[in-house]
Amino acid sequence: MNDELIEVFLRERFDDNFERIQEETGTGLAPDIREMAFQQVLYYWRKLKGIANRVTETEVRLNLPCQRTPEGREYGIEGVVDIVREEDQTIMYDIKTHEVEYARAHRNDYAQQLNIYTHIWQILREQQLDQTAVITTALPKKLREAIVNGDESTVKKELSAWDPVIDIPFDPQEVETAIQEFGEIVDQIEDGIFSPPGVSRLRSRTTDDRLTFAQRICRNCDARFSCRSYRLFAKSSSGASEFSFNSYFPDDLADWEQEERQRGQLEAETESEFSIEV
Amino acid sequence: MEIKKFTIEDLWEQVDFEPNPEQKQAIKHVNGPLFLAAGPGSGKTRVLLWRTLNLIVFHDVSPEEIFLSTFTEKAAFQLREGIRSLLAIVTNQTNQSFDIGRMFVGTAHSLCRRIILDRRFSIDGNRNIVPVLLDDLGQYFFLSGSQTWNYLLESAGFEDEEANQEINRFFDGGNGSLSKHKAVTNTRALFNRLSEECVDPALFLSEENNDLIFNRLLTMYKHYLHNLENGSVIPKTDFALLQQAALETLESCETSGDVFQHIIIDEYQDTNTIQERLFFKLAQGQKNICVVGDDDQALYRFRGATVENFVDFPERSRSNFQLEENAVRRITLSTNYRSLENIVDFYKEFIETCDWCHKENPERQYRVHDKNLQADRKSSTTAVVASMPGHPDDVCEEIASLVHALIKEGKVEDPSQIAFLYPSLKSKQVGRMRDALGKHGYSVYAPRAGRFLEVDEAVDIFGVFSHIFGKPEKGDYSGTDYNEFFSWIDHIHKRGKDLLKSDKHLKDYVRDRKAEIQTAIGDYSTLLKILELNHWDLTQVYDIGLMKRKLHGAPGLSDKVRKSLSSARFERIVKKRIESGSPYDLRYILLRATSLDWSVLELFYQLCGFENFKHMYDLAEKGKDEGPICNLSLISQYLARFMDEFRAVITAPSLVEDKFQRLLFVVFLYAIFRLGESEYEDADDPFPKGRIPFLTIHQAKGLEFPIVVLGNPRKRNNGPQPVECLVRPLLVREGEPLDRLAEFDIMRMFYVALSRAQNLLVIPHWKSQGNYISQPFREMLNDEFPRIPNYNISRVPSARLAERDLMRNFSFTGDYLLYKRCPREYMVFRKYGFAPSTTQTYAFGRLVHQTLEDLHLFLISKREEEA
Repeated sequence: MNDELIEVFLRERFDDNFERIQEETGTGLAPDIREMAFQQVLYYWRKLKGIANRVTETEVRLNLPCQRTPEGREYGIEGVVDIVREEDQTIMYDIKTHEVEYARAHRNDYAQQLNIYTHIWQILREQQLDQTAVITTALPKKLREAIVNGDESTVKKELSAWDPVIDIPFDPQEVETAIQEFGEIVDQIEDGIFSPPGVSRLRSRTTDDRLTFAQRICRNCDARFSCRSYRLFAKSSSGASEFSFNSYFPDDLADWEQEERQRGQLEAETESEFSIEV
Repeated sequence: MEIKKFTIEDLWEQVDFEPNPEQKQAIKHVNGPLFLAAGPGSGKTRVLLWRTLNLIVFHDVSPEEIFLSTFTEKAAFQLREGIRSLLAIVTNQTNQSFDIGRMFVGTAHSLCRRIILDRRFSIDGNRNIVPVLLDDLGQYFFLSGSQTWNYLLESAGFEDEEANQEINRFFDGGNGSLSKHKAVTNTRALFNRLSEECVDPALFLSEENNDLIFNRLLTMYKHYLHNLENGSVIPKTDFALLQQAALETLESCETSGDVFQHIIIDEYQDTNTIQERLFFKLAQGQKNICVVGDDDQALYRFRGATVENFVDFPERSRSNFQLEENAVRRITLSTNYRSLENIVDFYKEFIETCDWCHKENPERQYRVHDKNLQADRKSSTTAVVASMPGHPDDVCEEIASLVHALIKEGKVEDPSQIAFLYPSLKSKQVGRMRDALGKHGYSVYAPRAGRFLEVDEAVDIFGVFSHIFGKPEKGDYSGTDYNEFFSWIDHIHKRGKDLLKSDKHLKDYVRDRKAEIQTAIGDYSTLLKILELNHWDLTQVYDIGLMKRKLHGAPGLSDKVRKSLSSARFERIVKKRIESGSPYDLRYILLRATSLDWSVLELFYQLCGFENFKHMYDLAEKGKDEGPICNLSLISQYLARFMDEFRAVITAPSLVEDKFQRLLFVVFLYAIFRLGESEYEDADDPFPKGRIPFLTIHQAKGLEFPIVVLGNPRKRNNGPQPVECLVRPLLVREGEPLDRLAEFDIMRMFYVALSRAQNLLVIPHWKSQGNYISQPFREMLNDEFPRIPNYNISRVPSARLAERDLMRNFSFTGDYLLYKRCPREYMVFRKYGFAPSTTQTYAFGRLVHQTLEDLHLFLISKREEEA
């Protein structure tokens, strides 16, 4: 199969999928964001042809039924993965649209996840897994810049330097703890415990970036305005004596993000005059 | 063989299930068509579950070769999860593992989508393109959009002025309403029936004896089909037509009858013509088709359901598959495990008061009459009780007092276990009953009662909206719906005013938003003046060097717009666009600079920060009352819908002359207001705790409650729907007599309501001027009938709150990680389903994953080809 034809196929399918998702969800992506999504697909293919060509099952839904929570509830765990099965080995991939540095920083979450998935796979298919890995499809900054500048040799260099596959070794010891923790969360959900994390958590910073929890998570959460913790956080971090809604969280709008979104939507909507009829 | 040692009986023993003989036969039936008539509460779902399990485990049928269609997604979900849990037990015993991930379980509609996508039905091994599906509301907005509607009218030769009236006169008689809304809904009903019956308009268009208007409507239908198919890049489809597309897929594939070994259809009494064709086509190879249902519970004629598909299944399948006499096995599940004996006897008597015999051949009936339903809960307890005959106000009070006593005596654990079921929630009796319960301190959960827009939460939110965007003017136009809508506007505006009065912060907030709107309008007009002064056109390419300074320097421009015009980041983007050959025009620059930086959904979420609304979140967080947050969630979904259908960004020109306000209120909310409750919406089950659910009988389908109050035992027989009469001559089949349709449907609807009750069934007995109850209730509630004042509730069994009986699945990313991140975010978006204000991240991820999936599938199929 001609590689170029595959790239044509990718473009066609991508555009189709974009149209459909836009129709179905009413979400228009800003053109650069849309191209960023296409880049992820295209460079996944260019970089990881070897894997893509070997995938035998895609978007496989895994399910581990009949687990028990500490409080005795029955539940099942599920997830979606891609599988490469060959004569001598089987590999499980979990594709994420994250950046590789972010993924490395959150390696523990992934390890927990893939350990559980491996466990499910081995029970379900009675098949040994030889390797599990996370594939991150977000392009590294340098590669993105080189593409923007049309600098072919740098693109080549950065593409070969990019290592988007993170191996996650299977650790059977971890499975039990991970499932135990999963069960505890299930209990909390079923018990209806929905209090937000405390203010100190909102102030905390993750190791990989400079942002606080509030900046990274709360700001993207629509429910923050009615959230006790976020309001306390806003009150204390502004230093004002009395938190007043009058200020409407002045630092709250992540400007550039807002702009991107607005632009995407404006462009997606043709400015045709709407008519009003009774 | 080790597996053979392990039998289904072992499994029954393990899970403590003792099927009765009929259930056993049905579960173990394997070959040929099976006609399974199942009375209410007869364990039908369990039988389906076990029958499927039996096929997979004990007859080596691969899950991928089973097609199992259910009536709702929820039923499909429960079946799938149920099968999974049972299979897990098998795995523990036998070490044999099963994967039902690719089994076809779902509603007919979702399975149609999967058929179109499934490579087993594709000619070239590639995935077919699935059209974008318009749901009911989407179809309404698509049709009623001026572009489509005018095009359809024109192409059918209607003169613009009178078209709507002519159409309405044709459907409803009389002078004909002028309302476009009515014309659209009438036409839509006809279109859907035509699609469900697979009517090809071309076949009838030429017939001379067709009424002229009808001919035009058929022409409109023809163009509607064309427009859906060709109107946009990705073709669109509606619910009814999706099924046609699936059938076409099957017909174009020679082996389509052999892909599935077993076809199992639940709620078969509510299938329509096109679905029957689909199912028969799928079963053509093996002829293993099992249909399950109860004709007495058929409810969906208005969606094209044809109960004869079920009643005459033995004959129809025999002739379709060319089988001999007796080749279709019939099993009847006649033991009712749900209701006390008295209740079962009552509804049996009820349904038999109607004459179901064919006129010409009294041997035949329009009903499977020999079901011989028997209660398992034998008891002499009186479990059906009526109020004293009287004025509705007195009757409602009597029933409210009874409800209060039942709750106080612990006959139920929670008010949500007492359901009020209504033929329609638009009836006056609904409000009366709600008030009576309110006097006893009980709140009702009825998101679709009357009108959703009339629930407190909607009144509050849109009340405040009407102060921000301004109160829409009624103008000169008048009409019943229009007047009612504007009384609602008056009502919400007044409520908004009260809210502003009681919350100073909210008042300030609203004042500032209003000011922003004015600023946006002012800025836009200022910028337009600069354009005029310089003789620039809106379509002209934006030239930073030439234009930026002049625009930026416009006198009186707000800081926000200045900042936007001078943003360095934006400038870079502008330059990039020029380089790439798709530069921005001035119109875009003006819109971008002056649009509001919030959408209606963001506005909604900000409003939720004020005490009146925040309180509703707190109630849910503390587990006290889920009613308000459920309604807020629905509002967020409606607003998201508005953004999808109309516009997401509030631009300055749209704010001029209140255009945006009219779009939101007079176009969108007015449509929601008039479409009213959506009767076939799935009810959220379990219902919010702490409230008494008021449901339509349609919503209660398949559910059961310890105590049921038949909210209104009155339903007028208005004869058949006009659409039925119109479509009948175009059909090949005979069908139930037109003059009896409505009577049959009313009987079946009440039968569904009566058979929902487990321990107690309560019936109000209206008897005053203008208030009465329908036959046969009038006759059945005679002088000897048990009445509330003499009724001793001590013998009513106490009901426990139902535990979730099926294992629930949790996703690692969607549940576990999300909850770990923030439990409250989980509650709002995952548990109560609020619509987030931006779905970009979601769309991005989906786009990448879907395209990669396509890539993998493509590569896999290429490799297969080469091999």
